[in-house]
Amino acid sequence: MTRQMLTPPDPVQLRDALRGLRFFLRRGGETIADTLNLEALPKPASNLAGAVLREVDGLARSVDGLASGLAKTLLGGQPPQVAQLDDLIAQPRSDALFAAAFYVALRSVLRRLGATSVFVSEAAARSAVETVALPDPTEPAAGYAAALTLALLEARVIRGTTAQQAALVPGAALEPVSIFAVMLWIQSERSEAENETALNAATDLAVALAPEVSAAFAARDGARITALFTRYVPHV
Amino acid sequence: MYRMSDSGLHPDALPETNEPLRIAVRRLRWFKSAFLRFAESTGADLGCTFAVDEARLAAAFLRWLKAIELQKPANKEERRDFFEFAAALMLRELTADMPIRASGPARHADAGSAAAFWPEGYCCTMFCLSVHSAAMAQEFQAVTELDPAIDDLRHWWSFRENALKDASFSSGFLQLLLGHQPNWKMPDVFRARIQDELA
Repeated sequence: MTRQMLTPPDPVQLRDALRGLRFFLRRGGETIADTLNLEALPKPASNLAGAVLREVDGLARSVDGLASGLAKTLLGGQPPQVAQLDDLIAQPRSDALFAAAFYVALRSVLRRLGATSVFVSEAAARSAVETVALPDPTEPAAGYAAALTLALLEARVIRGTTAQQAALVPGAALEPVSIFAVMLWIQSERSEAENETALNAATDLAVALAPEVSAAFAARDGARITALFTRYVPHV
Repeated sequence: MYRMSDSGLHPDALPETNEPLRIAVRRLRWFKSAFLRFAESTGADLGCTFAVDEARLAAAFLRWLKAIELQKPANKEERRDFFEFAAALMLRELTADMPIRASGPARHADAGSAAAFWPEGYCCTMFCLSVHSAAMAQEFQAVTELDPAIDDLRHWWSFRENALKDASFSSGFLQLLLGHQPNWKMPDVFRARIQDELA
C-alpha cells in the first residue's frame, strides 16, 4: 500500500481564499441589506429576507472562526514584522514578510479611512514583491519603494473599492491614498512603540496629499512617486 | 480665576522625544500628539473642551512644511531668525483653516481675556509660542519673553478680525508677541521681514 504525499498548503494563498470567502459573504449581506428595506417588505418576504441575512452573517462568522483557528495552528499565527522596508527586504523570505506586514497595515489604514468593506490580497502583495528586483544597497530606498508601489497597484492588492461608500477620501483616491500611506509608513524611521501613531500619521499625510498622490499613481509615474517618498518619509 | 498673564507658555505640555525638537516638530506623529495634548491641557485650564479635526490639522501641518521649505534661507546666519519665523508660519496655517472648535465658553477664563474672547485662536497661538519657546531653549539656550501686547485684548480683536480675512496677518501677530515690529504689508514673507528690520 502506498502513502500519498501531501503537499502542505501555501498559508498565504489559504489565508487569501478564506478572506475572499468572508469578503464575498459580507459584501453579499451588505448588498441585500442595502437593496431591501426589510421594514417596508410585506410578510412573509420580510421574514424570508431577514432569515437570509442572519444566515449570511452566521456563515461569515464561521469563516472568521475558521481563519482565526488556522492562523493560530496550521498557519503559525506569528504577528507580522514591522521593520523598516530596507531591513525587511534584507531578510530571508522577504516577500512573505513584506506581504504579511503590508496586509495588516493596509487593513488598518482602510479602517481609519472608513473603508471596511474592501478586500485586500496578501498573495497579490507577495507576488508584487517577486516582480521587483531587489535594490542596490547603494541606491536610495525611495526608488525601490516606488517600483514596489507600482507593482502593488498592478497586482490589484485592493479589490472591491467600487462599492465603497463610507471612505473619507473620494472612491477613486482610496486605492492610491491607502497604498501610499502604507509605503510611506514602512519606510519611516520609528520605534516599536511608535508603529501605530506613525501609521496614523502616514495615513493623514497621504489624505492631505491625495491630489498629488492620485495624479502620480494614475500616470504610473515612478519618478514622481519616488520624489513624494523622498520628500515626505522624514515627516511621518 | 484663570488670567492670560498667568498662563505663560506650556512647553511642559509637549511630548517627550529623543530627537532634537526642530526635527521632531517636522514629523506629523509628534506634531499631532503635541497639538492634541496641548489642546487638552489648555481646554482644562480654560474650562472648555476642544474638539480637534485631525484631517484639518494634518493639512495645516503639510502647508506649514511646504511654506518653511520654500522660505528657508540658505544663509546659516539667518537660522535663528528663521526659527522665529517658522512659528509665525505655523500660526498662519492653523488659523487659515482652524483645526479646533471649543465646545462652549471658556468658563475659567476672565471675561475680558483673549482666552474668553477667542479660545481657539488663543490655544493655537499659545501652542505655536510653546513649541517655539522649547525649541529656542534647546537650540540656542534662549529664554522666550513675550511682548506685553499679549495681555492687550485690542491686539486680539485685531488679530481675529484680520486673520479671518487674511491668514497671513497671523504671522505678523505672532512676531508682534515675540517683540518684533512685523512688516504688515508682507507679514508672512521672511525676506521682507529681514529687509524691514535692517532698514
